Amino acid sequence: MESVALSRRSDLAGDAGAVDSGTLPPRLAGAFPGFFRHGRMIGLALLIAVLALLSLYPMAMLFHGSLHSAPPGIAGAYNLDGYAALASVENLVVLANTVGISLVKTALSLALAILLAWIVARTDTPARGALEVLITLPFFIPPILTATAWGMLGNAQVGTINLAWRWLTGLEAPLVNMFSYGGVIWHMMQYSTPFIFMFVVDAFRAMDPALEESSRMSGATRGQTFWRITFTLMLPVTTSAFILSFIRGIEAFESPIFFGTPVGIEVLTTKIYHLIYHQSQPQYQSATALGFAAMVLMFLLVAWQWRMLGGRSFTTVTGKGYSPNVMRLGWMRWLTFAICIAFFLATVALPLGQLLLSSFFRFFGVYQLDMLTLEHYRGVWRNREFWSACANTMILGVGGATVTMVLGAIVAYVTTRTRWHGRRLIDVLAWLPWMMPGMVLGVGFLWAFAMLPGGIPIYGTLWALLLAYIALGTPLAVRVTSSAYAQISNDIEECSRVHGASWWQTLWRILIALAWPAFAVGWVLTFFGIIRELSASILLYAPGSEVLSVVILKMWTGGKPEEVSVIGLFMLVLVLLIRWVQLRLIKNRISTL
Amino acid sequence: MLRRRWLAMAMFLALATPTWAQTDAQWQKVVEAAKKESKVLLYTAAVGHSQHKEVARGFEDKYGIRVEILEARPSEVRERVRIEQAAGRFLGDVHHNGSTTTWLMERDGAFQPHGGVPNARHMVPPYEVTELHVPSNVASFAILINTNLVKPADEPKSWKDLLDPKWSGKILSDDMRALGGGGLFFVVMHDTFGKAYHEKLAAQKPVFSRDLRNNERRTARGEYPLYLPFNLANYSSLTGLPIKVVIPAEGRPYVRNDLAVLKNAPHPNAARLLIHHFLEIESQLVYANSGGDPVVKGVIERTTGDMRPFLATKAMGTTVPERQDEMLELARQLYK
Repeated sequence: MESVALSRRSDLAGDAGAVDSGTLPPRLAGAFPGFFRHGRMIGLALLIAVLALLSLYPMAMLFHGSLHSAPPGIAGAYNLDGYAALASVENLVVLANTVGISLVKTALSLALAILLAWIVARTDTPARGALEVLITLPFFIPPILTATAWGMLGNAQVGTINLAWRWLTGLEAPLVNMFSYGGVIWHMMQYSTPFIFMFVVDAFRAMDPALEESSRMSGATRGQTFWRITFTLMLPVTTSAFILSFIRGIEAFESPIFFGTPVGIEVLTTKIYHLIYHQSQPQYQSATALGFAAMVLMFLLVAWQWRMLGGRSFTTVTGKGYSPNVMRLGWMRWLTFAICIAFFLATVALPLGQLLLSSFFRFFGVYQLDMLTLEHYRGVWRNREFWSACANTMILGVGGATVTMVLGAIVAYVTTRTRWHGRRLIDVLAWLPWMMPGMVLGVGFLWAFAMLPGGIPIYGTLWALLLAYIALGTPLAVRVTSSAYAQISNDIEECSRVHGASWWQTLWRILIALAWPAFAVGWVLTFFGIIRELSASILLYAPGSEVLSVVILKMWTGGKPEEVSVIGLFMLVLVLLIRWVQLRLIKNRISTL
Repeated sequence: MLRRRWLAMAMFLALATPTWAQTDAQWQKVVEAAKKESKVLLYTAAVGHSQHKEVARGFEDKYGIRVEILEARPSEVRERVRIEQAAGRFLGDVHHNGSTTTWLMERDGAFQPHGGVPNARHMVPPYEVTELHVPSNVASFAILINTNLVKPADEPKSWKDLLDPKWSGKILSDDMRALGGGGLFFVVMHDTFGKAYHEKLAAQKPVFSRDLRNNERRTARGEYPLYLPFNLANYSSLTGLPIKVVIPAEGRPYVRNDLAVLKNAPHPNAARLLIHHFLEIESQLVYANSGGDPVVKGVIERTTGDMRPFLATKAMGTTVPERQDEMLELARQLYK
């Protein structure tokens, strides 16, 4: 067991621990040696070129912007003013706030998500299938809607929770106040917990329970087994999820702007927003410099993960057959069931109840019988711009998520299962867009696509949006698939090749087949990431190519939050549908649970 | 001698007459050329507002020229225009934005002379047409109160009443440290009452939120009794809620929106015609009926009854683009 679980990669040196030129399908490699040698070089070059276009090019535009006193196209001078301005007490406070909030919310979310994933994947808790879908729902609700709902539920003055608290206890002091550090963290957790949950739940499912059973038989307690075996084997996926979620926390905007700004809590993104949107002269140099400073911080984190995981093997899916089973909890399964339901009630039922209720009243949160109406549903139904945006978004969402996952799977394959020179560069290129706050990156895409030669018709078309979405989604796609690849033992690939399967056949029938659940999760995350993306969309769309996030922004700022609620509910129905299909597919293909 | 005088007079008249004035016949040629161009692209910072769409629909019905609209927030529109022009992509025709952003873009050379529109002669002071921009509509700001929480006797009568300690911690406000209604409020109060006004108001600990339309609902739900500055254009959409608009005795701050033709606009005649159409009485009525001051004469008397009292109040003051940065910095110092 241990040799499978925690063996050093150096122990595997000499075997087929990773694909190199010598491990190509022997028959094909023998037949077309030149083709494969050059094909690999061409493939690598092509991959680097694609990633460079998607991530390096807009980043280079932004880097130029951070070093130049004026944005591209305007005369100015090169200087370090943007970076020099970073060294201030005010920015240190902003940095401390950002890191502190993100760290706390990620740690809490990770703990909660691991607990929920374990309950759903490894125990006999009742209705686990339904719970799995319900737990992930908060992730798919537009943050502006849940923020509004939580603003109504948890404001200190007349929040529903506090009114109920006062009525029950007679106390004047509020029970909760969303407009505080706690409120910011709680709202962020509603997105990061299901995000991490989706990331780790299939890894839990794909783990051979024999490893845990051996531990138990060797005398370890249930807690020791969880910590030393289950948790340790989950390290690649949990650290990936932690880092992705931590970085997303640093880049979070809606929660701090909604609940932090009114009480003076400033974080990196609200500072950048202030520099770009609140000044008469947008401070792009300072904003981009701040973005790059954040990027360095995040890169250090990623490097830490590489260092921590480097040289260790975490394979749990081996050539040896295993029968995934679940832990019998006895009466405690009702306790685990209650934990899942409590999470659902707190993060879905409460805010969603507000949205659902509000969608039937003329005004958000004003529940009077004479204000009951279906007008918001009619309004959305009659809104031609909304339906046009829906069509554009579906095309971009389905196409973008699919292309992104394919690209992510290729990048993950190269970076985790080969020893090709240049794989680290590819990994870094794929990471870049995730490390730059979306608000700044959106400007980078605008500059990059607008500055392309006139003969390349990308700017102002759906292609610009598609490329931006692929770039933004690739880091997640790479993390999801590489975490899944890390769990698959190389001996299965070896076995396939020994039995005469080609490289492509092995890739398709072994790696992709086994990583399929993670691929499906990545697709869903990317798809909804595209649906929600606003920073780049608002700068790249053109009349006729509006997308849903832009239309939602227009409706929101146009004073139609009730219609946005209807759209939020519509999106939830879509989520339920897609998740149902996804889980059916996974169940049919992989899971026997 | 007499001939010389006539010549001098003719030269004076030629110089005094705006270069963009034209005869009916010349204007007809513009209209015909505009119809041949068949479409016009409007870049506007009025995200989600319905008024410009209604005006655009009227234009399409009247002239058969399609109006495409690109909406984004003020600095986003500005950056799109800037980078497009820098890259040699001249896509937009008409630009619609607040007067400060328009002023900055004029300074950047983003516009070309519009060439004049006949309806400019109906413009009312203090609004003025220049060679590069034409005022299109005016947004006015007041105080929104929750009628369940504020008794009629307690309603503020003056902007100075907000300094009464009873409102401490009870004022919800657009962010005064940012470009927008809050920034406008800061400038106008500063210019009217001085810096001391803001020092005292800051001591009242107003709560800032830039979620403007939600702020109105938060006030209506009773989270805060007062919200400022409230854009009158949103009043009609809140009918039925326990709210009331209060315009203090000193008047209401206002901000002008301008139209301009973008440099190398692909449809310059249609752009010019659209600007002309924005100044038609029926177009101005669209804005006036939703609480915006019209910029041409002959409109106020035709507005609906519930808006006329608001529009009859005094316009108090507006932003000064040249001082905007200085004011934002001062606001940041005072409201920490």
